[in-house]
Amino acid sequence: MGKVFDWLDRQFHLISPHKRFFQRSVPPDLNYTYCFGGIAFTYFLILVFSGLLLSIYYVPSENDAYKSVMIITNEVPLGWVIRGMHKWSASFFIIFIIIHAIRVFVSKAYRPPRELNWIVGSLTLITAMASGFTGYLLPWDQKAYWATEVGTSMVGTIPFIGKYLMYAIRGGAEVNAATLIRFYSMHVLYLPLITGILLWFHFHMIKRQGISAKL
Amino acid sequence: MDRRDFLKRFIKAFFFALSLSIISIISYIYPTKIKQKKTFYIYLTEEENLPKIGIRRFEYIFKNEEKTINSFVFLKKDDKGLAVFSPFCTHLGCLVKWNNIQKEFICACHGGRFDVEGKVIAGPPPMPLERLPFDIKDGKVYIGIKLYG
Repeated sequence: MGKVFDWLDRQFHLISPHKRFFQRSVPPDLNYTYCFGGIAFTYFLILVFSGLLLSIYYVPSENDAYKSVMIITNEVPLGWVIRGMHKWSASFFIIFIIIHAIRVFVSKAYRPPRELNWIVGSLTLITAMASGFTGYLLPWDQKAYWATEVGTSMVGTIPFIGKYLMYAIRGGAEVNAATLIRFYSMHVLYLPLITGILLWFHFHMIKRQGISAKL
Repeated sequence: MDRRDFLKRFIKAFFFALSLSIISIISYIYPTKIKQKKTFYIYLTEEENLPKIGIRRFEYIFKNEEKTINSFVFLKKDDKGLAVFSPFCTHLGCLVKWNNIQKEFICACHGGRFDVEGKVIAGPPPMPLERLPFDIKDGKVYIGIKLYG
């Protein structure tokens, strides 16, 4: 390898502990349908980086949220690109998780010993959708407000505990500034952290168990 | 193209794309509106109110759409002519007072002392008191204050 990489390897010992991973054997009859999980993960990385950039300009307050989103879209250089990347990657992230799940289902890759990996993957889909739902409120326009109003009202229809659950999610009786800051905190702190941990489990189990053979 | 050539080209393309993204990210992060300080000339007093010799304190009020500034300056008149001193201590920006017995500007915060020319005599201030630009037109005295605008 190159001089820089050799120097880094002497400092951090990159090659020797990962030899088993890079030189592991994979089933001979893999095809491109096995890429969907990787594509979904690439979208996750794009979401993290574009989200970090958006958080520089976004202001999660009742009066400034919509204004700051408009500033990102119209005034910040390339702000519309970053926002567009975040928006479209969010949709494609969930789409590719679902396609990946269909591939896993069709190729029977969910069967033991990989049943826990299927569960972790399902939890990742749930956190991805929760991220989508909380992120939808953040532009703080009419569409965002009413989508959250309707979405959190659905929680209220659960028998007995529904009303209290809805108050907990909204941070009050109605969707207001408390809901915005709650959803912002969920969207940028809790959910990405949970998704990251779940994905670490997901990939760790693939490394340990190997890729399942074809049909 | 064999595997080695492909990987080499792929790594080159990767670093090219990476440098393009870094340039775009810098242009995204760098602020577009950077305000510079501008000098505003404001009316202070009539020329006849100027001291014949010595130092006098003059208060002024500056108003625009964004803010109102209520402050003061020191005017010094002697054989070298007129000078206008900003009252802000160059150490941390406290307001200095003119002591007519010691003939010194004294900052109460950390004991900075300036002589009648605004030069530092003692204490922590790193620079002499700021001299503001001024203008006398038709018997009226104007001073220039620097503001973000």
